[in-house]
Amino acid sequence: MFKVTTEPLSIDEAYAAVRRDDCGAVAFFVGTVRDHHDGKKVTRISYSAFQEMAVKEFAAIAAEAAARWKIGAVYIAHRTGALAIGDASVVIAVSAPHRAEAFEGCRHAIEALKKLAPIWKEEFYETGKAWISG
Amino acid sequence: MKIAVQLFGPLAEQAGVPRLEVTVSGATLQDVLAAVAVAAPTLKLDRSVRFAVNTDYAEPSAAVREGDTVSLIPPVGGG
Repeated sequence: MFKVTTEPLSIDEAYAAVRRDDCGAVAFFVGTVRDHHDGKKVTRISYSAFQEMAVKEFAAIAAEAAARWKIGAVYIAHRTGALAIGDASVVIAVSAPHRAEAFEGCRHAIEALKKLAPIWKEEFYETGKAWISG
Repeated sequence: MKIAVQLFGPLAEQAGVPRLEVTVSGATLQDVLAAVAVAAPTLKLDRSVRFAVNTDYAEPSAAVREGDTVSLIPPVGGG
């Protein structure tokens, strides 16, 4: 349910991982590689991670969401390596008995991931590159 | 004691290596960071850099034991 992988991410896998008979809602967040940043054309992105710690942080983020809201299950996957424009970099799915908790849990998971997960993004432009945080 | 230090993202780029081994006389993360500053003087360890001992975030006052891995965590950019 929590992984960091160089393989393309699958929304079907996320859905299958969290869908439950006692849950009436599944909320998703999918982060995708954008073609521009601060007025510059982005040509590609490379993500790297401290994989073992990132997966542990994902589990902790999910546990915190489960402590705060009545939710069913949480799936968090982040891709690393070279990504092209439009590729999915992160997929989060949260199931819950009701939609409000599914949305809240999903929002919490992506916001916490952005602050805590040891993952780094390097953007490449037509000329030059930059490490992007936040 | 010898401590393995992992560098990530821009810090690995600055140091030119993703991994260092330092010999530390003290027993806290702060002692490890002092040894890293000597071993890799090109590293910019400002307030934006966080630290982990093994796979948990840790403050400079945290204890470090033989066999632990210390990681230097520059500002993260996942998502």
